[in-house]
Amino acid sequence: MIKRFVAAAALGGALVLGLPAGASAQQTTLRVGIASADAGVLDPHLNSSTPGRGFLQWMFNGLVRIKPGELSPEFMEPDLAERWESSQDGKTWTFHLRRGVQCHGGFGEFTAEDAVFSLNRAATRDTSTFSSDYVAFDRVEAVDRYTVRITLKNTIPSLLGAVMNYAGGFQVCKAAVEQMGNEGFRRRPIGTGPFAFAEYVPQQYGRLVANDQYFRGRPQIREVMYRFIPSDAARDLAFQSGELDMIYGRQDQTWFMRTQQLPNVRVVAMQPAEMSVIHLNMSMPPLNDIRVRQAIAHAINRDQIVQLRGPNTSVTALSVVPRGYLGHNEAAPLLPPDPARARALLAEAGHPNGITIRAIHTTLPGMMSVMEGVQAQLRRAGITLEITPVEHATFHQQIRQNLSQVVHFQAARFPVADVYLTQFFHSRSIVGTPTAVTNFSHCRVADAEIDQARGETNRERAIALWRTAQEKIVREVCAVPVYEQMQLWAYRTNLDLGYELRASLNLAPPLLETTRFTR
Amino acid sequence: MSAFIVKRLGFAVITLWAVLTLVFFIVRVVPGDPAQVVLGDQATADAIAAMRVRLGLDRPLVLQYAEFLFGALRGDWGISLVTGRPVLVEVMDVLPWTLELTVASLFIGAIIGIPLGVWAAVNRNRIPDYVTRLASLLGLSFPAFVSGILLLILFAIQLRWFPVISAQAEGVGGWLRALALPAFNLGLIMAAYITRVTRSAMLEVLSEDFVRTARAKGVPWRVVVWRHALRNALIPVITIVGLYLGVLIGNSVLTEIVFNRPGLGKLIVGALNQRDYTMLQGMMVIYTLVVIVVNLLTDLAYGAADPRVKLK
Repeated sequence: MIKRFVAAAALGGALVLGLPAGASAQQTTLRVGIASADAGVLDPHLNSSTPGRGFLQWMFNGLVRIKPGELSPEFMEPDLAERWESSQDGKTWTFHLRRGVQCHGGFGEFTAEDAVFSLNRAATRDTSTFSSDYVAFDRVEAVDRYTVRITLKNTIPSLLGAVMNYAGGFQVCKAAVEQMGNEGFRRRPIGTGPFAFAEYVPQQYGRLVANDQYFRGRPQIREVMYRFIPSDAARDLAFQSGELDMIYGRQDQTWFMRTQQLPNVRVVAMQPAEMSVIHLNMSMPPLNDIRVRQAIAHAINRDQIVQLRGPNTSVTALSVVPRGYLGHNEAAPLLPPDPARARALLAEAGHPNGITIRAIHTTLPGMMSVMEGVQAQLRRAGITLEITPVEHATFHQQIRQNLSQVVHFQAARFPVADVYLTQFFHSRSIVGTPTAVTNFSHCRVADAEIDQARGETNRERAIALWRTAQEKIVREVCAVPVYEQMQLWAYRTNLDLGYELRASLNLAPPLLETTRFTR
Repeated sequence: MSAFIVKRLGFAVITLWAVLTLVFFIVRVVPGDPAQVVLGDQATADAIAAMRVRLGLDRPLVLQYAEFLFGALRGDWGISLVTGRPVLVEVMDVLPWTLELTVASLFIGAIIGIPLGVWAAVNRNRIPDYVTRLASLLGLSFPAFVSGILLLILFAIQLRWFPVISAQAEGVGGWLRALALPAFNLGLIMAAYITRVTRSAMLEVLSEDFVRTARAKGVPWRVVVWRHALRNALIPVITIVGLYLGVLIGNSVLTEIVFNRPGLGKLIVGALNQRDYTMLQGMMVIYTLVVIVVNLLTDLAYGAADPRVKLK
């Protein structure tokens, strides 16, 4: 009786409420789930968040781009510029733009005027988060309607990195910004990419539509729904129920294994990995003694941490610059795990009973579990690590106020060694100074090499300098690199991205005009 | 009655001002920098300082406070520091979602909780009473996100009756399907509260003389319970519903996250994480107003439930 009642109620409910319609024969709407409640400000020159960059990359182009699915600048190819050349001294760069590229929303053809406006906007502190990437720019000018010339004050390691489809290199349409103002533009971003902005509903989704005038051809995906789903469980369930076609994964091994077992699902662990590094603040005792820092380095077992995080989703760090970055030194002299040697070094430094050090740490669970693993390893060597957990925004503020002896930081950057070395290990970036970025260790041993490599026009010599810089930083034990955490995404096997997804600098898979559903 | 309402509104204005002032200063005391959040972790100290100027965070606190108060009086709640969109627009975009969820869960809570409470009271210390008490205890102690996930696994994944993403709805059918699970999830917690309060209020009323008199006069037991006793037991139920309504709006955040619904709870958590001061201030105005209005309505409902109650 009860069973019959339940069945009848279910049938009645289904009839009244209407069950989901079956999938259409040829799906043209891509539904993506991202781990965030919002994408943030919709301005490619301001937004540096993972959900924001992932969304904005589908609307904007650069003058050049890294081949979709790749990470290394070696794969640089034309985007809005069809070709380019540089002067022998590397200080003058000329880009020849494609003709007939149309801005979204009827804002006209993208010309050299737009490129000049866009790069100047990216270089301006009030309108760009990435203005410091353009300090070497002397002037940007339109030689003619389709030619842009960039003159540098001094050479930089990767000029193409500053004009590619990433961060400040995203090209905005001048007429759109001038007509709507910066605030208006942020509510209706206008680019030249394969997808155009359609709608943004806070806390729910951003919607893009195909740009039929896209210069590479009419996109086969007609609509993109980018849903903000901060709950990992809810995102996974929505993917399982077929309400999403692609999701940002939780960065752990369990998620990887479980999701991989779902039928017709592909799980990708892609680059760029975020490298987890323990920065040792050398301005604070006892970490001002190199023997203590060496003891800490000997106490940390990187392979064990990778086992903890999961071998499918993470790899051991090999240097203070992540793998795959131009100039990465895979043979940096990292100290091997050796708790006995760590104890001996501590005794030699006058701490036979061990030491206590303190770390202000974010409450983000993924990072916290690693730090707890490190804490356990340090304990075996007589080092007590006291962790003060604080909420993430507080963490970012306090570590920049030079309040923590030990800083555990996880980051991915533009894949040229210069960026990582400059931001984390150059004396200009030491926290607490006006030019501070993220040098938490107060490291300054490799300034000369980093600066010299910046001005070096010969790539091989620049790479050699970056390798030397890494060796010096590792020997000084400014920081202990631990592991690299890959970006995890899952999508249905009937979604053909149009390229092999190995990496994405914007941390979400690029969508191309050829991206489509196969059945 | 009108004197009562005017007096309450006077108190409301003072309460609102006090809450706004507290919120204004508390959010600025909490560590964390909105400029840093906006610019991300690659920003230089110079860029962060420039952003603080752009956001107006470098000006004296008293000046910021005065601007905020005058703006609030004019109905201008400012621009979100993080998204750059007007706070009022962002709040008003999600407010209907929260109200809809709250009202629906309140309705579910009442239609389950009141009859269960009455049933338990009239069957005191018998199996129905034990079962109801156990069930309401479970409802109170079950975290909303756990029950939410369980409901999703059963009804959205296994049975496929409802969508996982409850913010996607087309038509009345779609709207009901989208609302059903989150409302039921919150409604169960509400029902647990109402059941327990109804039961204890009913037990008290059922032992009073007028109930015994009504029974002695031959009034049917059903009429005694549902017409005479329940009406007299409603005051504490209304009190708990009124009190809990404010809590429900705040507590809906877990349900909003699990069922992927927009709402005030989710907005306030996001604003707090991102140190979006202007957004937090705007949210507090709404919360305070809602609590004040709900309390006023609760007081008015006393009179409607029991004519002996006079509002002065």
